[in-house]
Amino acid sequence: MTSTADQLFRPADAVINWARKNSLWPFFFGLSCCFVEEATAWGPRYDIARFGSEVFRGSPRQADVLIVSGTMFKKIAPVALQLYEQMSDPKWVISMGSCSNSGGMYDVYSVVQGSDQILPVDVYIPGCPPRPEAVFEGLMLLQKKIDAGERPARPVLHLPGGSQGGREDFLVDGQTKARDTRGPGYAGIPIRGTAATEPRFAGSRAEVLWTPPAPGLTLSREQEVLAADLAAVFGGDATLVTGQDAPGDMPTFEVAPARIPEVLDHLKRKAPTRFERLEDLTAIDETARKAPAGREATAVYTLTSLSAATMVRLLCPLPSREAALPTATGVWSAANWYEREAAEMFGLRFDGHPDPRRLLTHRDWVGHPLRKDYEGRATNMPAFTREDCARLAPVDAAEILGERAKDGDYLLNFGPHHYATHGIIRFVMALRGERIKAMGIDIGYHHRGVEKIGERQTWHQFIPYTDRVDYLSGIANNLSYVTAVEKLAGIEVPPRAAYARVMLSELFRLSNHLMYFGTFLQDLGMMSPIFYALREREMVLDIIETITGGRLHPSWLRLGGLAADLPEGWKEQVAAFVKIFPGRLKEYHAGVTKNPIVKARTKGVGGITAAQATDRGVTGPNLRAAGVSWDRRKAMPYGAYADFDFDVPTRQNGDCYDRYLVRMDEMRESLRIIEQAAARMPEGRYLSADSRYCLPQKDAALKDIESLIHHFVNVTRGPRLPSGMAYAATEAPRGEQGYFVVSDGGCHAYRMRIRTPGFANVQALPHIIEGLSIADCVAVLASYDYILPDIDR
Amino acid sequence: MPQPLAYVPLDAPFSPWNPGALPLLIYVGIVCGVMAVILFLSGFLTRRRPSPAKQQPYECGIVPTGPGRFRYPVPFFLVAVLFLLFDVETAYIIAYAAAWPDLGLSGYLRMAVFIVILGIGLAYAWSKGALDWDEEEGL
Repeated sequence: MTSTADQLFRPADAVINWARKNSLWPFFFGLSCCFVEEATAWGPRYDIARFGSEVFRGSPRQADVLIVSGTMFKKIAPVALQLYEQMSDPKWVISMGSCSNSGGMYDVYSVVQGSDQILPVDVYIPGCPPRPEAVFEGLMLLQKKIDAGERPARPVLHLPGGSQGGREDFLVDGQTKARDTRGPGYAGIPIRGTAATEPRFAGSRAEVLWTPPAPGLTLSREQEVLAADLAAVFGGDATLVTGQDAPGDMPTFEVAPARIPEVLDHLKRKAPTRFERLEDLTAIDETARKAPAGREATAVYTLTSLSAATMVRLLCPLPSREAALPTATGVWSAANWYEREAAEMFGLRFDGHPDPRRLLTHRDWVGHPLRKDYEGRATNMPAFTREDCARLAPVDAAEILGERAKDGDYLLNFGPHHYATHGIIRFVMALRGERIKAMGIDIGYHHRGVEKIGERQTWHQFIPYTDRVDYLSGIANNLSYVTAVEKLAGIEVPPRAAYARVMLSELFRLSNHLMYFGTFLQDLGMMSPIFYALREREMVLDIIETITGGRLHPSWLRLGGLAADLPEGWKEQVAAFVKIFPGRLKEYHAGVTKNPIVKARTKGVGGITAAQATDRGVTGPNLRAAGVSWDRRKAMPYGAYADFDFDVPTRQNGDCYDRYLVRMDEMRESLRIIEQAAARMPEGRYLSADSRYCLPQKDAALKDIESLIHHFVNVTRGPRLPSGMAYAATEAPRGEQGYFVVSDGGCHAYRMRIRTPGFANVQALPHIIEGLSIADCVAVLASYDYILPDIDR
Repeated sequence: MPQPLAYVPLDAPFSPWNPGALPLLIYVGIVCGVMAVILFLSGFLTRRRPSPAKQQPYECGIVPTGPGRFRYPVPFFLVAVLFLLFDVETAYIIAYAAAWPDLGLSGYLRMAVFIVILGIGLAYAWSKGALDWDEEEGL
């Protein structure tokens, strides 16, 4: 029954609602992967302007729709709440994607299990990530909600009654919402099959299963010389690991903790093979080993020699998890962040470290998440509430810079929410005028605890998580992971699968570099290129969708091969693209590369020398722009890359312009590889016949009982891998991405370490940016091409 | 060719040819009226709901550090102001150049004096250091 007043104001309500719903202005607020699809919805083909919502606002004051696109991390939640509060009324909230809706696949200590616990959500969009069409569906639902549910005329005219704006209440766990995805009433029963997947699953038949030992390593001549040299210099303090335990991927030495800086320095400067780069530094908690290891933790140092294209690993046994070992920051400044991370994740101490603070987690975080006894699941922790937001509010800018900020400097927060940060990362700048005198970086806003998750997912189950480590490079991520596991277990990949993997990885490189091209120039102030780039990117995604059925996160590689064979029609689509794309590249060059403004903004700006880049562990196109001709695909080929003919583009100055040019050239080379892969695609199996570890091909699983059993066992319990460790790195679009997998002879990893290009690259940013102006800083960030989950994992 | 009809205004006070004060007054009245309506509506239709978060400056979702009022050196400002001066000068010179044949030598001399005075001003500003690019001035 409607009152007379309702009827009286109905026409005015209808007019105001009509105006509002057709000009919703979304806030330019992205948390992770989902935002890529949201931005794609804004681009050509999808064109969100049809709904009157193309004006993505950079400031909360000018926006009225908050699309929470991506994972709501505990560290970013206080910021999201603050931004929501700063939006003007009336306002609405759309929760986009599974992570934002419920935590999604990230049931892990650092993720809020649903943004509705802190924000009032009006519309939920399901999907991981939802396609651009789903964004429109959500937008239309919101329009309907406004149209049907709101009576804004009276509030607008200051009269009592009526209603406007989205809901204002957030949900409270246990009262208005249940984090249990099965709904209420299941308390006491472990959720999401935890009993079967947690590390100590009692009575697992995998325990009594025999697996062949991991493949061993035969040392090359140079490696023998190196081992002899280390033995001669350090005697019993640096011994080569031999026998059954020797990892098969690279020579591994056990080093006494006290002498680690000396050994590192020796390997860097004096050894017969020089190791120029600290590839990775991490630790392993040994307390949950099936057979007691006789120590509580191990620190792991991985080094890469660019001159000899070889690697070496140093293991440092530590008696306890609180043990101290000397810092390596004196040898490699890049060790700084790695040691901070190892310290906060495992509780280790690094004596002499210049800045021993937490890196990824908040200052007031309690516990060391990668310890085996740390609760990994958010659903087993108390629900995150608005009180926690107040407790974990971001620390003050002055605290991040510390003593480097001088009196009279103006401290500016650049991020975590900013157009030009390309994700949630926080740069703190000490400014004198427009000049950046000092820069501090606060990361961890995008920490998804994926290394912890890796310790509870079976070897196959973990593959979808790898897609999301660098969310613009999908299958290229899968490749790093499966390569590492295949190395550990000695799995042979059939040639057809190997070629398809190369082709798909290169397609993702194209997709990534196209996005780079568009966003780089948009940050410099050119609006048009992104529309061209997104147009071509859609062509690439179409091919990927034809082959895999997915867009951003196909999760399409499997141990030993692919999820399915290449479908009919893929070749024609690739051929059409290969024909069109060179012309488009020329178009880009004609419009951009010679543009005097682009040159003025980027040439000679933000340069880094080859020596500095190598020393700081910078990898990928950023390294090659500085003149180092190092590409894993060429230098240490993996998969089928040795079969392909391509060049490694380099430049000399390492400045923004060169970083741009290298990527433009890489697109051309990727296209060459794709063309060759498509032309020479071998016939045959797409999955290895090694059913001990690999899934059987689908047609076989549907036809014979043996394959079906293998399928069942490998999908549910997961294959049991031999114990050991392996590191494999690939040349991902943004640089070298490596997986260090440690197996204790179980169905899941004992330790899953991801060495990402972004972590090392971004650590070098203050070196590049300090001394530049703010405008130049934006050019550097845009040209540098990092991505947040790749830094924070 | 027939003579065009003489223009006979309908109402003398509103004649555009014999401007009086009345049209101006009416014009002012209309402007004030429209402005008053717009200002009133934008004030009245806005529902102000201030909250502590909204009153804070926006800085990427973080509570800002330090005071918002501080000295900020803007070296390009002086250069821009000087440029503006010469921008105006250009406007005069172009107008003068268009009338060059009519103005003759006396016009030339007057223009020269104008330019010399500006030149002296520039020299003075230069000698005072207005063109030095000092990024930390005043800090």
